[in-house]
Amino acid sequence: MLILSRKVGESIVIDGRIVVKVMRVEGEVIKLGIEAPAEVPVHRQEVYEEIQRSNQAALTKQNAPLPKLPKLAMKPKQP
Amino acid sequence: MKCAELTEPEITARTPHKNIVRIPTGLLGFEQIKDYVLTTNPDEEPFAWLHVEDNTALAFVVIDPFVVLPDYKPDIPKVDVEFLQLKEAKDALLLGIVTINDHQPPTVNLKGPIVINRHTHTGKQVIIANAANYSVKHPLPVA
Repeated sequence: MLILSRKVGESIVIDGRIVVKVMRVEGEVIKLGIEAPAEVPVHRQEVYEEIQRSNQAALTKQNAPLPKLPKLAMKPKQP
Repeated sequence: MKCAELTEPEITARTPHKNIVRIPTGLLGFEQIKDYVLTTNPDEEPFAWLHVEDNTALAFVVIDPFVVLPDYKPDIPKVDVEFLQLKEAKDALLLGIVTINDHQPPTVNLKGPIVINRHTHTGKQVIIANAANYSVKHPLPVA
């Protein structure tokens, strides 16, 4: 792992197009500003781990009993 | 090969229906499993099943997230739109993965829906750009 020291206001550049800037340091919390092209997804690592855990909990056996939902009046719509 | 167009699970024909779905990058934590069968059955609406194709005992329960949350507004990242070759919103079928809990109401993952191109039957579990607005454990209203 590459380890770099940065001060507040300083940045690193990744692949010539992603800029990660140290905005503020508040005790143990570091605020980072990230500038990346729209096609580069940026997420907190916890989101990936949360979805992974959720998928593992959701894996089930075929024909497991399904809960009954109340009938919903609204029609589904497109995003 | 021309594929039949995928339809919303809840408006599928009144008979059980199966569609092959390929998820080339797998689901998070199940990256090695890429081939699934989406099965809808009128008796089980609004739920559907996403079976692992080579191991019929394993499956995920899925639901149309817009049925659960009519004002759900997932922001699908551009990289995923391009990967799935989605040209317009109606090309996409969204499925939320349901967790059936033992002692609590079932929940649906609204942070990471499976987005499927209805024409190519290719899908991906997408982390929506506005994931912070939604829960991985959104409770379902059980009758």
